[in-house]
Amino acid sequence: MKPSEPLLEVRDLRVDVGEQNVLKSVSLAVPAGALVVLMGANGSGKSTLGLTLAGHPRYKVVSGEARFGGQDLLPLSPEARARAGLFVSFQAPPDIPGVKNGLFIRSALNAVRESRSESPLDAFDFLASARTAAAELGLPDAMLNRPVNDGFSGGERKRNELLQLALLKPRLALLDEIDSGMDVDGVRAVVRLVQSLRAQGTAFVVVSHYLQLIESLEPDSVHRLDQGAIVEDGGLALARDIARTGFVRAPALAEA
Amino acid sequence: MNHARAEVLTARERLASIGWIPGRSEYFRHLPPPGMEVWLGDGSEMSAADPVVHEPADAGWTLESLGTARQGLVEAQWLDAADATQRSQLFAGIAAPGDSDADRFAWAHQALCRRGLRLRIGGGKASAEGEAGETVSLALRRQAQTALEAPTLVIDVLPGMHCVLLETHERGASMDAVVQNLDVHVTLGAGASLQHLRVATPAPGDRIVHRVHARLGRGARYDQALIACGSSYHLQRTELDLHAAQGSARTGAALFAAGTALEQQVEVLHRGADTTSDVEALVLASGKARAVVNAYSRIAAGADEASVRQRLSGIPTDGQPRLVLRPHLEINHDKVQAVHGATWGALPEDALFYARQRGLNESSARALIIKGLLTALLERSLGDPDVLQTLGVDALLGNAAARYLAAGKELSHE
Repeated sequence: MKPSEPLLEVRDLRVDVGEQNVLKSVSLAVPAGALVVLMGANGSGKSTLGLTLAGHPRYKVVSGEARFGGQDLLPLSPEARARAGLFVSFQAPPDIPGVKNGLFIRSALNAVRESRSESPLDAFDFLASARTAAAELGLPDAMLNRPVNDGFSGGERKRNELLQLALLKPRLALLDEIDSGMDVDGVRAVVRLVQSLRAQGTAFVVVSHYLQLIESLEPDSVHRLDQGAIVEDGGLALARDIARTGFVRAPALAEA
Repeated sequence: MNHARAEVLTARERLASIGWIPGRSEYFRHLPPPGMEVWLGDGSEMSAADPVVHEPADAGWTLESLGTARQGLVEAQWLDAADATQRSQLFAGIAAPGDSDADRFAWAHQALCRRGLRLRIGGGKASAEGEAGETVSLALRRQAQTALEAPTLVIDVLPGMHCVLLETHERGASMDAVVQNLDVHVTLGAGASLQHLRVATPAPGDRIVHRVHARLGRGARYDQALIACGSSYHLQRTELDLHAAQGSARTGAALFAAGTALEQQVEVLHRGADTTSDVEALVLASGKARAVVNAYSRIAAGADEASVRQRLSGIPTDGQPRLVLRPHLEINHDKVQAVHGATWGALPEDALFYARQRGLNESSARALIIKGLLTALLERSLGDPDVLQTLGVDALLGNAAARYLAAGKELSHE
């Protein structure tokens, strides 16, 4: 990766889901350590972008390119992308019955560590760090012993995503509406964790509809996605403008 | 001729007269068992002159305590079926087989049975001390002794007693193919319970039939969890008789068939009022496996408020296995509840992708998810995660799943 190269660079990405073309042309650059906010109406392609970058097999890249950390991202398997440091939080994280949350996270963490030739964490060491991280996110210890997301409320699932984020410490995290379904304390926990990880060098792409969260995160840039393409770039002013007027733009307003 | 020898000959004659399981048998047609000669041998296995030549006195059963319950709550008798008196003790209270298709195995068993173990839970020296309500946790390990055998296990859980039992079956790695026809008879007294984990993972060339008959007294509870893998022929059959009111039974099976043959049959008879049963199975199959799950629940007339549930699932993980799931209900009473269903499908794609997005490779993700699905099933069948821990289910299931996935990988390279 050249010093001038962004950590994530997406160019003219065109993606089909089934027979439908969802992303028409998306270009986005995220420098290392930066925080980028992505806004857009429902169905504009925000989640599609995240799942495509994560390597979901149902999302077919028709054209364009995506580079991450100086390497071509698109030929990589989902796990290779994760091991390279890309974390994508799910808008609706699935449950995995019978698999204890702690075991799941430790298995994932050790898979990532192994790819970096680091020694695996034993259960004792993992538990200590997991308990600390869980406490900071307002999650009870018991969540580590429950099956992954099984019977979790919407807010608990999102906090569980944050717990994995906190322990995996990726190079870039794409958070897809991480604040939806969360209470006030949960949203504060998001802000604290993002700030903490940013201080350690993690870059973020945050998908959110809520100005209060976006303002708290102090983004470097804000982008508006519409019908599968990024149609506006700006800063917090763009987020405030969208919060005030909505996503539907009059032609004259959009041109201004 | 002594009485034991006479019973053996009677069993052989009975089989000869009714014949072996017919090919059109409704129960067995999807996975026809090997012929009668496989289960009877050539007759030399039961010589009156040398009745105990092959098997040691313990008949390959090893019994250990898993918990800290008081000594003296368990009475164990290793009995010689070639001795008339001991044979009577071994089979005391057990009804003679009938003429059903499945009963052919029972007759073959009677013809070949050499030794057996009889356990009385709550029947030991401490029985007079008012131990009802205590839990006895046991591990019972059986090592196959001969190439052809028909062991017997009888478990009587006395009224009010609770038992947790791990029953595992092993065979020496150096043994040639084993043919085993095992009969297990469970009787639960009023208010008694048995949480029964059974593990049967034969070698690929073995031919195995295990039949478990459980008869539940009033308010008794029987929970069975089964971990089984396929072989040349492997049948696990459980018959549950809920003859008294408020009896309750659950079975949950984690079944693995990687290019092998495996069938589970669960037959539940509701005769008492307010009885409940829950039959669940998840079978994983790969390669050219043939796997069958037959669940048959019958609610007899007069079984008021009986409740039946059957849930059978199959997941072909690789290759082109043949999977047959047959939930079947027969209801002869109006005021009952019954739910049944069967689903075939793939591993949950969203969970697989989720695990891979967190860094697990595909095979690790599949193994984790498979083990999780089966753990959840066994938790439901035994009803208590602590019991699973006591019985070491995590390791037992992990080993079985790992062997299944490794065998599947080999098959895909063939």
